[in-house]
Amino acid sequence: MLILTRKLGETIRIGNKIRVTILDAKGKHIRVGIDAPTDVAVHREEVYQMIKQQNILAAGYDDSIGKNLSHVWNRMKAPKEEI
Amino acid sequence: MKISTTRFGEISIDESKVIQMKGEMLGFENLKRYALFIQGEKIPFWWFQSVEDGSIAFVVINSLAVKQDYKPVISDAEAKILEIRSPDDVVLLSVVTIRSDPFTVTANLKAPIVVNSKKMLAKQIVLVDSDYPVQYPIGDNSSALQGGKKEEIFPSLLQNFAKL
Repeated sequence: MLILTRKLGETIRIGNKIRVTILDAKGKHIRVGIDAPTDVAVHREEVYQMIKQQNILAAGYDDSIGKNLSHVWNRMKAPKEEI
Repeated sequence: MKISTTRFGEISIDESKVIQMKGEMLGFENLKRYALFIQGEKIPFWWFQSVEDGSIAFVVINSLAVKQDYKPVISDAEAKILEIRSPDDVVLLSVVTIRSDPFTVTANLKAPIVVNSKKMLAKQIVLVDSDYPVQYPIGDNSSALQGGKKEEIFPSLLQNFAKL
């Protein structure tokens, strides 16, 4: 990992289209401004991982679900079992 | 064109029904072309099938059938990427996760697939500033489950998409 030290207000350039500016620092919180082309997705890492994991989970359910979703639907509509 | 899929075997699909992703389904960066398959109008779930990898298909549902007051904020930049001219052209899809034990069905409201049904462009947009959950249970308050109005669950825009 490349490690750079920057002061408040200073910027890092990544490639020729992405700029990352250190805006503010208070205690453990750093505010970062990012200028990037609209086709570059910028995510908080934990949010990115969460959505990615959910997509993988959703695409990966076992094939017993098959191609016809009516049984899933029927089960959802079934009266709830008393506990 | 013909595509070969794991679930549905070989199917023919008109090129005009293929949806081009602007950006990716997170975790599936290499797949850019999908078809939305509607299976009749009795079940509110549809398939978002990769055209490029026949083994990848997501179950999706109309987000508004899950939560009627769902209002994701789509930025001007993203509307531009998707060439959205009118909100009436937009279909919001939520990726559905089905677990068998215990049986739960949830919809991802945090990252809807926003589809411009006129231009057949789509993007999974992460709603950064919202509290919408990634695993929202499809439950008794969902119009999909409450026999809500047909139009709420199956918007007429669906006619633009492929049928199985």
